[in-house]
Amino acid sequence: MSLIGEWKRKLQMQLRRGEFERDLGDEMHLHIELRREQQIARGLDAEAARASAMRRFGNTTRMQEKSRAAWGWNWLETLAQDAGYGVRAMLRTPTITVVALVSLALGIGANTAIFSFLDAVLLRSLPVKNPQQLVMLGEGDMAGITQSFASTGLYSYPFYRQFHSKNAVFSETAAIFSMTNHVHGFVDQHRDTELINVKMVSGTYFQTLGVGAQIGRVLDENDDSHDGDHPVAVISAGFWKRRLGGDPSALHHTLRLGEKIYNIVGVAPTEFFGTTVGEAPDAWVPLSMTDFMPPGWGGHKDNFSESLFILGRLKPGVTVAQATANVNVLFRQILRGFPDAKLTQENLALLARSHVPLESMERGLSVLRSDYSEPLKILMITVGLVLLIACANIGNLLLARSTVRARELALRQALGAHRVRIVRQLLTESLVLALAGGALGVGFAAVANRVLLRMISNGQDSIPLNVSLNLNLLAFTTAMTVLTALLFGTLPALRATRLDLSTSLKSGQSGTVTSGRVRAAKVLVIGQVAFSLVLMMAACLFLRTLNNLSRVDVGFNKENILRLDIDSSALGFKGADPRANALYHEIENRVSAMPGVGAASFSAFTFAEGSWNGWVTVPGMPIDRKIDVNHDVIGNSYFKVMQIPLVAGRTFGPEDTSSSQQVAIVGERMAKYLFPTGSPLGRTFMIGLPGDRNKPDQKLVVGVVKDVKFRDLEAPDLYIDYLPYSQSGWGFGDFEVRYTGNFGAVAREVQEAIHAINRNLPIANVTTMHAQVARSYTNRRIIAELSAFFGLVAMFLSCIGLYGLMSYMVTLRRGEIGVRMALGASRADVAWRVMREVSVWIVAGIAVGLPVTWEGERLAQRMLYGLSGIDLMSLAAAVGVLLIAGLVAGYLPARRASRIDPVVPLRYE
Amino acid sequence: MSALIRQKRDSFSDRDEIPPGTLYLLILKTLALRGRLHGYEIAEHIQSSSDDVLQVEEGSLYPALQRMLIKGWVRAEWGVTVGNRRARYYTLTTTGRKRLGAEILQFERVMGAIARVLRPA
Repeated sequence: MSLIGEWKRKLQMQLRRGEFERDLGDEMHLHIELRREQQIARGLDAEAARASAMRRFGNTTRMQEKSRAAWGWNWLETLAQDAGYGVRAMLRTPTITVVALVSLALGIGANTAIFSFLDAVLLRSLPVKNPQQLVMLGEGDMAGITQSFASTGLYSYPFYRQFHSKNAVFSETAAIFSMTNHVHGFVDQHRDTELINVKMVSGTYFQTLGVGAQIGRVLDENDDSHDGDHPVAVISAGFWKRRLGGDPSALHHTLRLGEKIYNIVGVAPTEFFGTTVGEAPDAWVPLSMTDFMPPGWGGHKDNFSESLFILGRLKPGVTVAQATANVNVLFRQILRGFPDAKLTQENLALLARSHVPLESMERGLSVLRSDYSEPLKILMITVGLVLLIACANIGNLLLARSTVRARELALRQALGAHRVRIVRQLLTESLVLALAGGALGVGFAAVANRVLLRMISNGQDSIPLNVSLNLNLLAFTTAMTVLTALLFGTLPALRATRLDLSTSLKSGQSGTVTSGRVRAAKVLVIGQVAFSLVLMMAACLFLRTLNNLSRVDVGFNKENILRLDIDSSALGFKGADPRANALYHEIENRVSAMPGVGAASFSAFTFAEGSWNGWVTVPGMPIDRKIDVNHDVIGNSYFKVMQIPLVAGRTFGPEDTSSSQQVAIVGERMAKYLFPTGSPLGRTFMIGLPGDRNKPDQKLVVGVVKDVKFRDLEAPDLYIDYLPYSQSGWGFGDFEVRYTGNFGAVAREVQEAIHAINRNLPIANVTTMHAQVARSYTNRRIIAELSAFFGLVAMFLSCIGLYGLMSYMVTLRRGEIGVRMALGASRADVAWRVMREVSVWIVAGIAVGLPVTWEGERLAQRMLYGLSGIDLMSLAAAVGVLLIAGLVAGYLPARRASRIDPVVPLRYE
Repeated sequence: MSALIRQKRDSFSDRDEIPPGTLYLLILKTLALRGRLHGYEIAEHIQSSSDDVLQVEEGSLYPALQRMLIKGWVRAEWGVTVGNRRARYYTLTTTGRKRLGAEILQFERVMGAIARVLRPA
């Protein structure tokens, strides 16, 4: 309170400053007058009385200054003064200022942008209550449905139920379906289906997270108590605004998802996006509705249909170690207790070996994290180096400028200014520069963020990732800016104020005081070259990696294939519905017959779309659990569309029907493994293990095809087999079309053809196979493109540094050069001497940079592909580019040096 | 070199400078006793009531008064002296009166402590 009053009075004094000054003066004058009169009254003569009064009063000017200091904000005034001075200094040298501002904006902006992604993906906590208390069972690194016994990553719903009631270490537990259900549904009676991302969660989900609803209520235990009879949904704030226009009566609306109509019972808080960073579900629906939710994963009541993540909130005082112990005891107890548990020798051994780790859920789950944590860290280092190089540049510019100001500063010091005061002023000027650069940088970052998000999303819908400006980020940027100012400002400030006053004052050239300054500048320039080498090398490595990836033989011809998704579950077909198969056939036939289309086929998967995988059994052979086979369910023309060569036997055809012999086609690698001797054709195997509940069918091998890349480009060849959808129904799918001609036209015609067959069939993700393959290494593309960009920026900045320093030195040495020329040195000699010096700097920089580069390549090894050891080609390219650019930068001052007229400088000596 | 040009101490050797930090206390107390005074009167009062022992560098009253104005301990208004001159008169505010109590307490605490150090029981 009193502080506010104080500020108010201070402000008043500032506003009526003149009046206060006058008052003070009058007051002091009166005092001295009265004292003088008193002294005269005591018998002193007029002169002595005046002197005495003055002496007793003290130094009036000092008292006035002290009073003014009391009015406060003295430091602020000095700061404002210095800042104003800084602004004027910036305006006096516009070229330097523009170069400095642009490099700062770029440096700080790039750092801000990359950090905002790093923060969003890796650092930020979930916007829920006390997120640090949340843990999840298992690593959360897989998503899907598995039947494998003693899975420690995914759990069944019955397991969750028992775990929920029996555990002693969590105050709350919740289950989340590991996959998001992408459902074609609609609001109310709209009928125009749209893709709605549904997250199935236990009734305890919101309570466990401590998240309430902004409208209505969140899900509760009751919603999740009986199977199938609680069609309710909580919608996200985003969906509410987008689809319902933020209607306050949202609770009167319904969602049609599959067969059921769901009442909207609540709207989640605006900042809440669930528990997975980089996803934004539109609706949360209780797990009790699992069996009714398209695409019909089902398995809700199955003890061993494991598809859930389980998370819990630690009770206060319970350590993670205690919780882990309790969880593992329960894990074994619950699994063994299931009546349908197959407690074979093998399974028991598996159970004994298993261990459920508890992982922190503070920052949520994220698929982005595994793909982008390393690229983001590498990019963070990259932009950090770019900023350092920019700082070195500005430092050098300021050094050069401080030479120009040497006389001014020397004069001020001679007149009694403290060195600290001058350093403070110079640092304030740097800070002004840095703040201006930082402000520009934030603007730049806002643009860069959008570009980066688009790059990461890679042509698809923008990934819902909150990278907007926040407090965290502003704190980071501010810290960054201040640090930058200190980095580039300190050295010049100290250098500028440490000088031999008399020399500076005497000589306008100030030639003798610059040797230290030049040494400092040289160190900065060499450092710049070293860092540039590191960045150029990184850029070369990542570009080569990108090139290598784009040349990987995927095993199929990725050109001229259109692919799209249809969602047959939107028509109410579930699993192996014969009507679905008929529909697929009709679409395949209709599209195949279109002009410009070579072949068309459905498939469960193509490249990088996930997998259905598991063990297989060959009669008479031991089961090898290390062999995980990827199954694909395909149409008859699939190999023709993909141009996967048939090695032996036949492809699927009309003869393979639901009632005929179950057949399969296997990849070469699988053929070799399953049937090491003799032809695989005519042999049989089973998908799954002999003990499985659903007695697996014998599959007859009718063909062998070349292997293809399936999950990503880098995984070694996998075991793959193919089944016809006529025999192994697959409810929804990928549609691939081999086409010639214009993609856009074909894509439109194909969609029209499909809608001509069924108008209500939702089509999504229309793209080319080529793009789909490229998308699998988006993170590498981003790191390659950005590191190339920053490498060039770094090099450019370093060249400015080289150029600036060399020009400065040529100016300094005009006299020397003049003498040399007068003594007979040719222009070429002079130019050569300059070039030689530039080369020495560049080579020194490269020598310093090389070991760093090697260490850097070792660290980034996991992001590289097809490069081993030190990649000499990249190194040669980086060194070469740097040398050429550096020499070009040095050539201009060299030419200038060679054109010096010897008479001019000599005249001044 | 610099050692040689050390400044000579001021020459009011028969009077003691007031202990640092007590100037506020003296001004506050003076105003509390006498009500409404201008700067010269304050200086005179401090000197006379200390039997001319305490010496205030008279000018230093003014920065102190300015600080006290800012803090809101005193109020100032222009008035006319007996000799019909314009002078700025200071009076204590409620905050200032409270402050005086606090300053006295603190002073006594410090003096008591010093006394204990000088004359151990």
